[in-house]
Order: sequence, then structure tokens, then C-alpha cells
Amino acid sequence: MTHKLELVCPAGTPASLHAAVDNGADAVYLGFRDETNARNFPGLNFNRKELEDGLAYAHARDCQVFLAINTFPEAGNPSPWHKAVDDAAALGVDCVILADIGLCHYAAEKHPDLRRHLSVQASASNPDSINFYVDAFDIRRVVLPRVLSVQEIAALNKQIAVETEVFVFGGLCVMAEGRCQLSSYATGESPNMNGVCSPAAHVRYVDEGDRMVSRLGDFTINAFAQNEPAGYPTLCKGRFVTEGKTEYLFEEPTSLNAAAMLPELAEAGVTALKIEGRQRGKAYVAQVVSAFRRAVDAVAEGKASPALNLENITEGQAKTSGAYDKSWR
Amino acid sequence: MFSPPSSSSGPRPPLSPILIGGLVARPLPPSLLQPALSAAMATVNRRHPGLFERLSNLDTPVFLIDPVDLGLVFVLHADAERPTLTARRTGEGCGAVATIRGPLLKLLELLEGRTDGDALFFSRDLVIEGDTGAVVALRNAVDGTEIDLLNEVAGAFGPLAGPVRGVARFGQRIFARMAEDMEILHGALVSTTQRRVEAQGVKLRDLDAKVAELGKSARRQRTPKS
Repeated sequence: MTHKLELVCPAGTPASLHAAVDNGADAVYLGFRDETNARNFPGLNFNRKELEDGLAYAHARDCQVFLAINTFPEAGNPSPWHKAVDDAAALGVDCVILADIGLCHYAAEKHPDLRRHLSVQASASNPDSINFYVDAFDIRRVVLPRVLSVQEIAALNKQIAVETEVFVFGGLCVMAEGRCQLSSYATGESPNMNGVCSPAAHVRYVDEGDRMVSRLGDFTINAFAQNEPAGYPTLCKGRFVTEGKTEYLFEEPTSLNAAAMLPELAEAGVTALKIEGRQRGKAYVAQVVSAFRRAVDAVAEGKASPALNLENITEGQAKTSGAYDKSWR
Repeated sequence: MFSPPSSSSGPRPPLSPILIGGLVARPLPPSLLQPALSAAMATVNRRHPGLFERLSNLDTPVFLIDPVDLGLVFVLHADAERPTLTARRTGEGCGAVATIRGPLLKLLELLEGRTDGDALFFSRDLVIEGDTGAVVALRNAVDGTEIDLLNEVAGAFGPLAGPVRGVARFGQRIFARMAEDMEILHGALVSTTQRRVEAQGVKLRDLDAKVAELGKSARRQRTPKS
């Protein structure tokens, strides 16, 4: 028997929020339909009325709602980010997920009772950094960057007095969260400022007969043979020609799946598990949340984590345990 | 406007009742479907008035929806006020900003949110061309709306909605059975070829490994000893 991990689940639309809540989410995280959050994709996210309705739906079913305001305000134009924090407090969200130091300060000053979590975009991965955010802005939970092994998380948790949340499923970055410039380099827009990595408007897929080519801005970033599983059109998951060979250099198209490590993560002192995928459809949300609900409940009862059978929905139709076991060392 | 290349890396039409039905119905004009499509769109628009609001910053995009197993294409004018869906033999000259191509059943599952669009893309069941931003916006708008196609269509029949729903469910069961049978038939037909292809794949991998090994030993021989 171990402490029960909290399951924090993505919602890109009201339908996905319903799917997450109905399938057992303890908390749902979402964003406003603008550049204040790191999933600013066309047609995605919530307007204020939709958030109000979503809050009512979730709270009536004992599920919390976290609002991600986790991009970095444009210099000289902090108003949209400030308004997002003010509206979050007025609507009664359970917490805001922030990355920018200035915005943490604004939220702590203006809305001291509004619970604050530190986004993975802040990339705080050591005790000095985390303790600074806790001391300065009364941060109550830190979403850890996907760079730490389970042993490192356990050691970290012993040196900080704040809850930790870790990703357990979904897309992976090159692990320079909040600092990655690849999308900016290729398109002029980035997840950190504009809220979108590899904006869809800059992506093109071209059928070249025996292969499908993906392009981002002026760059050809990948070519998939017929029936070869595809991945997201990001530079970090592109194939590059080096020394005459065409291969993945940063990372392959693959999804994180740490379901088998839930007992170790609980043992390491983690409070909450995060599922990535606000850009995914409600079918993905329903399938992944329901699978992890079963896994979390089983682990809390001291049983082994069950097989989740999620390969059909993963990027590249492949999975990895990422940095948690650092198998490449 | 986009049309499929003659030799496409995209999804091949699966052997299914839809493919057979499409071939049988090929001589019929697509306009026969128009009253049903118009009624369905009117119902969807009435029940989900905000559906295309999420695309409102895109200036009424036109999408070409190409079910690869049907022998027909559909042109969607995503007007926030009055969306229309038209069946045509080809998409030529329709002015689409993007094409969405895949087997009909997968497209219907996507429409109802029973499957995830990214997962269909990863598995190569779904191909998109043209303005990716517009496609992503459409996908999110449709996925964010809880559409139950059977209920939407049955709803258009007013007091007959109940019996229509019953007939449709019966039809779904028959269809599923036929699709299963055809999959078995398809497996039987291609199994010999499949085995041959797999055997050739194994031989190719062996050859690749041998070539790589030869390359390594050649490099080792070239490297001067210090």
C-alpha cells in the first residue's frame, strides 16, 4: 500500500474536459484560447464562458481545474497574461500553472489566495531553483522537467518542501523546456512566447508518391516511407543527413509511457502524475485517462501496474520511459 | 486545389463493404446524395451552432474531404453561419485550402470523436495536404463538439427518428459483420504474397547488417594506428 498519486489530465476542448472528468481525472489542466498558454493551436482551448461551464462540470464531479498560463509575456505587453490571471481568480479555478517570474510575482501580489503551480516551462530542476520559487512566490507545486531519473527525483524531493508533479505519458520535448529555440528558428514563432511549437500554419505535408514529406517553414524535416509510422512535424524530431547517413539526431518520434514506474515514482515522493496532450482529441483523453486511472488505483492497492495497451495512439507508435531510467547511460 | 498524385504514399482503400458499394454505385450521379447531405448539415448546424465558430478567424475555409474507398469526394464550406457539404465525383476546381484523405469509416470515427486525429496521422491512415493550420482548426472544432452522427441523422426524420435509429443500428451490425468477413477474405487472398514479402524483408535486413559490418571493418583498416 502506498500513497495515492493524483492524476492530472489534459483538456483542449470542453468535450475533452468531459472525457477526462468522466474517465477518472483528479484534476484537469487547460488554457485560454490565446497566446497565454503553451498549446495555442488553432481551434483549441477555452473561452471564458467555456471555462466557467467546465469548472461547474468538473467541480460537481469532485475534479479540480488547473489553468495553464505558462508562456512568457511579450516585452511591453503583459496585459493578456495579467488578465488571464485575474480572470482565473474571478472564475474560481483551483490553481494557475505559471512559468514566468514576473507573472508569478503578479499573481502572488494580486491574488495571494490563488494557488500557484510552477510550470515545466520554468525548467526548475534543482533545489536552489525550486526553493527560490517557493520562497519568493509561495509556489505550492512544481512540475518537474523531463530530465531527471527516478533516483534524482527522490533525492530532489528530500531537499525541497513543495509538492512535485511529473509527466507519465505523451509527447516528449528535447528537454530544454522554456528555452528551446528550434521552432523560433524555423518559423519565427515559439512555444515559449507564442504558445505553439511548430505552428500548424507553417507545416506542410507533401505526397511524393513513394513517401510523405513534412516541411516546417523553409525546412524539409522528415520523409516517411509508405506505412512507416509518422511523428509530429517538429525540428527536434526531424531526420538529418550526417556523414552520409539520414537519421534522427535529437530524438525519434516516440511517446513517454512511465506506467510501469508508478510504484517507484510514488516511493520517490511524487504527489501528482501529468498526462501530456491538450492538442489531442477526446478519444485520446478518454483512453489514456481511463488506463492511468486503473494503473494508479492498482498501485495504490499495492498491486502491479496493469498493461495499458496505449501503443495505438502514441507518436511514431513507439514508447519510451525517457529520462526516468536513462537507459542510454 | 489539391488532387491525389497518381502514385500516392497515402492510405490505400481497404477491402470493405464501402469499397464494394462505392464501385457498384459509381454510375449514379453524386447529386443524388445532396438532399441527405443538406439535411444532415442543417441538423448539425442547428444542434451545434458554435461548431464552426472556432474557425471564425480563417475566412470561411473550403475543405476537400476524400474518402479513399468511396469513389466520391465531399466539399465542405466551413461557413460559421451556413456551412454546406457537397458530394462530387472529383475535387477539381473546388478551391479547397486543404485536403483530408482517408478511409470513410476512419473519417466518420474522427467526425464523432471516437478516434484521435493525431493517432490516425501517426498510423498513416489519414493524410492531409494544403493548409495544415486550417485542418488542425477544423479537427479541433469537430472534436470539441460532441457529435453523434446516428442521432443527428435520425433527428432529421422527426417523429420517425426512433424507427430510423433502430433500422440504422441493425444496419450497423450487418455492416460490421460484412466488414469482418471481408477482412478475413482479404487476409486469405494476400497471405501468400505477405509471407513472400516478409521473407524478402528478413533477407534485406541481413544484407544491410552485412554491408554495415563490411563498412565498419573497411573504416577500421583505413584508420592509422597511433
